[in-house]
Amino acid sequence: MNFLFFTALKVEAIPIIRRFNLKKDLKTQLFIYKNISLFITGIGKQKTKVRLKSIIDLKINWDETILINVGIAGGDINKTKIGSIYFINKIIDEETGNIFLPDPLIKHNLEEITLTTVLNSVSDDSSNYNGLVDMEASAIFESISSYIPCHRLVFLKIVSDYMDILDWKSIDAESLIQEQIENIYQVINCYNNQNLSNRIILNNLEINLLKKYSEKFKLTKTQSLQLISLSENYKKNNGSIDGLELYFKKIPKSKQERNKGFDTIRKYLST
Amino acid sequence: MIQSENTFLPDFSHIYVESEAKKYNLTRECIDRFPKATIVEILDYKSFFNRKNQDFQIQKYSIKLILAVKKPPFIYKGTDILQDGGFRNFYYNTPILNCLYNCDYCFLQGMYSSANMVVFVNQNDMKTAVEKELSNRLYPNDPLMLSISYNTDLMAFENILPITRSWINFANTKSDLRIEVRTKSALFNSLSDLSPSEKIIFSWTLSPERVVTNNEYNTPPLERRISAIQLAIKKGWKVRLCFDPVIIYDNWEQDYGDLLNKIIFSIDRKNIYDITVGVFRMGQEYFQRVRKSYPDSLEYYKNYVVEDKIMTVSQDERDAVKTLFTNKLRDYISEDKIYFWM
Repeated sequence: MNFLFFTALKVEAIPIIRRFNLKKDLKTQLFIYKNISLFITGIGKQKTKVRLKSIIDLKINWDETILINVGIAGGDINKTKIGSIYFINKIIDEETGNIFLPDPLIKHNLEEITLTTVLNSVSDDSSNYNGLVDMEASAIFESISSYIPCHRLVFLKIVSDYMDILDWKSIDAESLIQEQIENIYQVINCYNNQNLSNRIILNNLEINLLKKYSEKFKLTKTQSLQLISLSENYKKNNGSIDGLELYFKKIPKSKQERNKGFDTIRKYLST
Repeated sequence: MIQSENTFLPDFSHIYVESEAKKYNLTRECIDRFPKATIVEILDYKSFFNRKNQDFQIQKYSIKLILAVKKPPFIYKGTDILQDGGFRNFYYNTPILNCLYNCDYCFLQGMYSSANMVVFVNQNDMKTAVEKELSNRLYPNDPLMLSISYNTDLMAFENILPITRSWINFANTKSDLRIEVRTKSALFNSLSDLSPSEKIIFSWTLSPERVVTNNEYNTPPLERRISAIQLAIKKGWKVRLCFDPVIIYDNWEQDYGDLLNKIIFSIDRKNIYDITVGVFRMGQEYFQRVRKSYPDSLEYYKNYVVEDKIMTVSQDERDAVKTLFTNKLRDYISEDKIYFWM
């Protein structure tokens, strides 16, 4: 599996960069090492939405990606403890009232809680919020859930304050995340499960090969779709579509020849 | 990095409760049944259950429970694809959406985008709707047949919530109501204290052990289903045997022949209400939806014919199924008690 971290602040990212030896890729602005990468979204919903557009444009293999949003959050003084890490099971967007629900399928050892994403930081009234408060999670869920299914969206929040802080610079976000870095690592281990990736039958190489065959044979759109569908059936039942190559060696000279050739291919793939 | 092994949460680790559902007794009963579950309040089950980009098959690893309040309609007229068993007033309802089992040929995976289970906690509203339909049914001289496990296996859920029991008790108070409980469950003993009722038909789906293992994931083995049938019959309940769908594969005739021999030998014919036989058939739209999710099951990568927007096996295969069952069952049960759905 691939893991893509989102943090709002650079200081939140530093312990993760350090733990996984991530290096900045100047072209993509991602911090990367092997199957783990990190992206800094910036603070607030609007900035996050704009910044996420750039990551969506990158051709990431979403089929095998697990997104983990890590960040600090304000907490309800009666329900949470400063420095503790929580697994988010419900995100409420305060502005729109929309509710976003991750799909927790995997065991973890963290306490679960509700998170409210607000427009402006809260420093004087924690009584209105049930659980935790941040400024990005709903925007992340809304933007990314079209690309990654809900069971691969993970939100981990570390309580930095009880929504009573006036001087935000007094919060040592780096240390708070650093203290929880092994818990974050454990979550990654739990999610490193190939069952969570999207199922595929034909790999990219095979799909590109079929596209080439379609072009070479000048197949109609319907024929091209049939070729893919029948190839999926064939591979599922027989394990490989390598034998197809033989049928695409000779380029047809007319529509009739193409259709006749495609009929032969259809019969071969239907066996 | 360590590769994780079986790290999935247990079924019903989370219970999602609609705000409106909190006040119902069934909600309390369900939450009490799972004291360790995390409770998450939601506004409307549909926005959660029907949302896009869910993976039905992965969710089967860790099914969540949703408690919701059903809005009308509370009762539906039978569809062409659902066997009416000769009842002209044939209806179904949906006390629960989705199933604990994961049969690979099941239409539910094409019908719903989620594998999570929805329990409607306002069962009384459904019962009121049935009472109303009893008064307005099209053929007033015929009873109203209600299938209560069309979108689920209700009896498989009986140890969690006794909803089948509640519907049986309800049917016993209505002279013109008949209920069909279709199941693969072996949990009949959870109902065995009830007095048998002429109004209830228990319909057990039976398949060769190979199909149980390869196609009917998480369902009880054949032997346990047969034991449940024997217990139901012994207690005096009406039992329908369903061989539906008959799955076609190399040597299917041998396996189904053996299955029928076993049934003929172990279940007394006098107590069989009727027998239904069907083949794989699924609405084209549902089939394509399942196919697009690339399930592991091979059933979606076979050659089928399309008839009236239904994907099904070829006429030759249907004829072969009919011939096998007709020949095998000829001396077991009269022909007018065998219904073929193909």
